[in-house]
Amino acid sequence: MIHVEEHKDPQQNLKSESFLLPKKLYLPISQHVGAPSKLLVKKGDEVNEGDMIADVNGFVSAALHAPASGKITEIKTISHPSLKQSQGIVLNCQHQQKQDSPRKNIEELTSEQLIEIVKNSGIVGMGGAAFPTHVKLKPPKEISTLIINGCECEPYLACDCRLMIEKIKEIFAGIDIIRKLINPKEIIFAVENNKPEAIKKINLAISTKKIGLSNVRLAIVESAYPQGGEKQLIKAVTAKEVPPAGLPFDVGCLVFNVATCFAIYEAVHFSKPLIERLVSFAGDALVKPKNVWIKIGTTLKELFDSKVLEFKVSPKVIVSGGPMMGVALTGLNFPILKGTGGFLFLANTSKVDESVCLKCARCVDVCSMNLLPLEYSKLVKNNEFDSLDDFNINDCIECGCCAYSCPAKIPIVHYIKVGKACKPKK
Amino acid sequence: MRQVIIALIPATIAGLILFRIRAALLIVICVFVSIATEEVISRIRKKPSTITDYSAALTGLLLALILPPTTSWYGAILGSIFAILVGKHLFGGLGMNIFNPALIGRAFLMASYPKMLTTYIKPFAADSISCATPLALNKFSQIGTPLTDLFFGGVSGSIGETSAICLIVGGIYILIRKIADWRIPVSMLVTTIVFSTILYLTNNAYGSPLFHILSGGLLLGVFFMATDPVTTPVTKKGRYVFGITAAIMIMVIRVFGGLSEGVMYSILFMNALTPLINRYTKPKRFGA
Ligand code: SF4
Ligand code: SF4
Repeated sequence: MIHVEEHKDPQQNLKSESFLLPKKLYLPISQHVGAPSKLLVKKGDEVNEGDMIADVNGFVSAALHAPASGKITEIKTISHPSLKQSQGIVLNCQHQQKQDSPRKNIEELTSEQLIEIVKNSGIVGMGGAAFPTHVKLKPPKEISTLIINGCECEPYLACDCRLMIEKIKEIFAGIDIIRKLINPKEIIFAVENNKPEAIKKINLAISTKKIGLSNVRLAIVESAYPQGGEKQLIKAVTAKEVPPAGLPFDVGCLVFNVATCFAIYEAVHFSKPLIERLVSFAGDALVKPKNVWIKIGTTLKELFDSKVLEFKVSPKVIVSGGPMMGVALTGLNFPILKGTGGFLFLANTSKVDESVCLKCARCVDVCSMNLLPLEYSKLVKNNEFDSLDDFNINDCIECGCCAYSCPAKIPIVHYIKVGKACKPKK
Repeated sequence: MRQVIIALIPATIAGLILFRIRAALLIVICVFVSIATEEVISRIRKKPSTITDYSAALTGLLLALILPPTTSWYGAILGSIFAILVGKHLFGGLGMNIFNPALIGRAFLMASYPKMLTTYIKPFAADSISCATPLALNKFSQIGTPLTDLFFGGVSGSIGETSAICLIVGGIYILIRKIADWRIPVSMLVTTIVFSTILYLTNNAYGSPLFHILSGGLLLGVFFMATDPVTTPVTKKGRYVFGITAAIMIMVIRVFGGLSEGVMYSILFMNALTPLINRYTKPKRFGA
């Protein structure tokens, strides 16, 4: 765990805005962990907002919906922030007024029906991992603790914080649905102590009869990085450690991000699939940082063309995600995905050349997973990929604490990613 | 590295006061030759100059401080070249070396000129009156040395090792400024005290715990050699292993071995074991 400069001011205090009338959308069919979705449309098809345009394809996979009405102009390879490229759908929007239609008889829905709704709404974990939510809702083991993740530990990002401030009622309604499905003994709503306004809202919600759920408890955790990491958060609130290569349900826990709870609420109460999300745009290259509701598939370029965002100076670095775990982008032609919480536009790079490792062990002291990060950069540089498993490289969650703390500025996470990709598969 | 040099200032001044011009000459030669060797190697390997990182200067200074004041000028030159060339660059340069370069330099001289490296003189003396070190006196002639002399430095020995108080001041600076982790120095000192107390209780002739702490190169080794991050373990458990084992080895050599002092060999030996120690003292795996 480390303490980083948070840069949450002013981002956390910016009321959310909307930009929901894009001209063109670029929709990769891999926006989640697992198999890419199966295409249901072809070039020339007309679609309505909310239509499923690609379906679940295998056990771990997610569906994709048309964020707006319009015409499919192309199916082609498009830019993807983390995969670089992916097969995708290009949609020319012809916006139509769409009324929200509240679903009736929600109380009467069975568990199977609820999970089916989530599955057919294309919901994935929105905290960054993008794991298909319907798979998570059928845990193979009994769950005693449901954890709601309201920790947004990446510097700059504040979309989850804003969502808690502006939509707490809806988040609780989403939690209520998850509660019905997995029936936990207790629900822990975890927030970092650097979000006082969100904490106020949660407390208010808990104490309000109509919204609050009987077994929800608020856990205020220290603001540190990576406090919002699944394994770290479980340890912080339950003192349990998820075993190596294990999953949260191995210790009876399940973790849902607040934005995912909100998406579940919308899907169940309004039959609205995951086609929009709240995104933070931050960094000193912007005239004004913002938190904006955006249609999935909107490109950064369109946001700048339509003056939703404006550059003060031309950015030296553009990052999808936060500064710790995000990926650097090569331009503005990238779409916003279901799992993207924010973008960073920085006017300066503090790019310092990597120097030699002096074995100061600072990376060892800060490692979130008790590893020896310096060994990874050394082994990868020497092409000794076979030995990486001796140091449990797969335990690494790529949080970046090691590289952040390294006085020699060694991009350790870069070497770890290379190492994981090159090491012999067992 | 610069901070370590600052921490060595008291001990260096003590060496200059005790051994005057001999000390001054050796320090100048070692530091200069180390830096020059470093620069020449960088130029030959076409790498950017590294003398501004102070590591070569530190190696030179440390080497001078662990040499007897009567070491000849050519001994100092050869030792410095060997320390930088073999001790450091043959392993790949800064950060890659397994052994402490200054100790490698001294070990080389010890092997090549054993007589030169085991002849010590009285401090404050204008001409060289040879005189055994307190450890040797105790071990081979059963002659004790007053603890106050050991503490302040009025005894024979290497240039930088004789004044315990100056080394302690530097050591405290290193620990307070967190220039090095405390685990190795503290575990070495505690182990030395425990081990020597046990021996002392069985036989007074082995020397008291205080005598062992204050004499020889122990404090210099503890604070300035065993704290070199490059050649010591990165794991916390490993640092205890390093400190405890090194201290036990030092005491075994001092009391039962053929030599009167064992700091250099013990630390070099532990340097060699460091990669292995790292591997077997990995922190507890998360969730395991
Ligand atoms: S923090 Fe950097 S310099 Fe220090 S041990 Fe780790 S990799 Fe080496
Ligand atoms: S080694 Fe992996 S888990 Fe440890 S600090 Fe670095 S990125 Fe994080």
